[in-house]
Amino acid sequence: MITLMRSEWLKLRTTAVPWVLTGIALIINALLILVIFLTRPDVNGGGGGQVSPGYTVPHTTQQLRNLVGAGFQGYLFALLLGTLIVTTEFRHKTVTTSFLVTPVRTKLVAAKLLTAAILGAVLAVILLVGTIIGGGLTLSARGGSFTDMIHQVPSVAPGFILVFALFAILGVGVGSVLTNQVAAIVVVLGWFIILEGILTGLVHSAFKWVPTGAAVAASNLTRDRGSDFGLFHWWQGALLMLFYGLAFAAIGSLILTRRDIT
Amino acid sequence: MTQNPETVGVPSGMPSAIEVHGLSKQFGPLRAVDQLTFEVAAGRVTGFLGPNGSGKTTTLRMLLGLVSITEGTATFGGRRYLEFDQPIRHVGAVLEATSFHPSRRAEDHLKTVALGAGLPLSRVDETLDLVGLSDVGRRRVGKFSLGMRQRLQLATALLGDPEILILDEPSNGLDPQGIQWLRTFIRHQASVGHAVLVSSHLLSEMEETVDDVVIVSHGRLVLQTTLADLAQQAGTSTGLRVRTPEMARLRAVLDAVPVYYRQTADDSLTIDGATPEWFGPLAAQHQIVLYELVHDRGSLEEVFLSLTHGFDAADPSLMGSPSATPAGLSPMPGGAT
Repeated sequence: MITLMRSEWLKLRTTAVPWVLTGIALIINALLILVIFLTRPDVNGGGGGQVSPGYTVPHTTQQLRNLVGAGFQGYLFALLLGTLIVTTEFRHKTVTTSFLVTPVRTKLVAAKLLTAAILGAVLAVILLVGTIIGGGLTLSARGGSFTDMIHQVPSVAPGFILVFALFAILGVGVGSVLTNQVAAIVVVLGWFIILEGILTGLVHSAFKWVPTGAAVAASNLTRDRGSDFGLFHWWQGALLMLFYGLAFAAIGSLILTRRDIT
Repeated sequence: MTQNPETVGVPSGMPSAIEVHGLSKQFGPLRAVDQLTFEVAAGRVTGFLGPNGSGKTTTLRMLLGLVSITEGTATFGGRRYLEFDQPIRHVGAVLEATSFHPSRRAEDHLKTVALGAGLPLSRVDETLDLVGLSDVGRRRVGKFSLGMRQRLQLATALLGDPEILILDEPSNGLDPQGIQWLRTFIRHQASVGHAVLVSSHLLSEMEETVDDVVIVSHGRLVLQTTLADLAQQAGTSTGLRVRTPEMARLRAVLDAVPVYYRQTADDSLTIDGATPEWFGPLAAQHQIVLYELVHDRGSLEEVFLSLTHGFDAADPSLMGSPSATPAGLSPMPGGAT
């Protein structure tokens, strides 16, 4: 399995996919950091909820936690990474060679799941480091306490990294069900950017069940007020995310195993 | 490689490397492969021949576990492809419609395969060298010509130094030198004891390369034999083409001797099995004017075409005489009809 994972990593890093995704994620991360400095929370001590334009130097625990986790929504890139690790093989027909090397297709999907999980975690670490440097410099320059920010890292980072890994797993799952690259990307982005919002807007109680709700719970970012949304405990959220990812991957493996590669 | 104890079908008597038994594939309403049975011997090159759409590619892909099998078995020395721990160390395959990521370098492509199969990375340079791509190993595959891609595919197949090679129309995209090189390469593989199964829709392309032939048509086996036997069959189906302005007189002469002939045009006819040495004196004796006298030897390609297109549509000059199918070369039941 280790050799297969090394092969998967080599396949990925010899294409533009991981570099482009990481690059865009870092840029968006920088923008999200700016947003934190340039918006003023309306609710006292809140962090999410209503915000309005203004200027803030994060100083409360929650604000500093939000700053450390500024790149949280970069999980979408972990998701895309996971999806692309499967669908590029079909797009460029390299899957024939991959199946010749690893004819037991479930094994190949498993290797992709594990590789994606690790790379998702690595992306999370990159974004965290980027935030600590970029956000930390901005914070210090604006008179905030860099030390206070660093103190929040140990409690934010594990959930942050976990969520990225889980989203990458979900991506592999979706990609192995929808092997058409364009279809997979459209469905993934369509769900997370549009459909999920509509669904949870209509049925508020659904939020804790959808992947984003599960991810927010798993990240433990909003520990102080998670109950506002009726979110699961972090470990329940993590398990739910993992369930979604593995369920898709299982269905995908079944489909792939029966599929004729012609 | 272990020898399948049930091996009996290889014409050469060599141990079998590939066994296909009663193999069938149903694609919706289409029976792409139908009860196909043949074997491929180690140390020999077997041509897998049939027109386009006769089920060759589907058969090869079933062997390799890429296409699911509807019925029957396809094994290598008794083992299914999926049962090998590292299959590409035993079976190397060059398939059509396989591709590469265009922005990946040739050597990186080979490295991904080598890593996946637990092969030493030193094999990458060795195989690039073997197929003559050492100079362009650092180039991105997107910039490769069709012939270079074909060579890279071959390099991929050879990474694991397999004892069985499966090549699906490997000369596609190769220039004449490339085809010559491929022939030499394939012969070399057989000479070191490897089994080579190579598909083609042209027998002429394979004549100089193969030892045995497996001929399929409409997904069914038409014939499995050695090339030598097929050549013998072609050799027996000779004819003498005669063009004369005196057709009526010639026919009268021929009617008087025990030969089989057919008029093919107003001024032409073909005499089965006749030689110029026999016919020349006969024509002289009767003082018949001849414009043309051609000794037709049935070519392998004609035999192949007649076998794969079915006897009905076959060129009558090949199938007209009963001697066209010598004993020991009986077409399989369910073959071309």
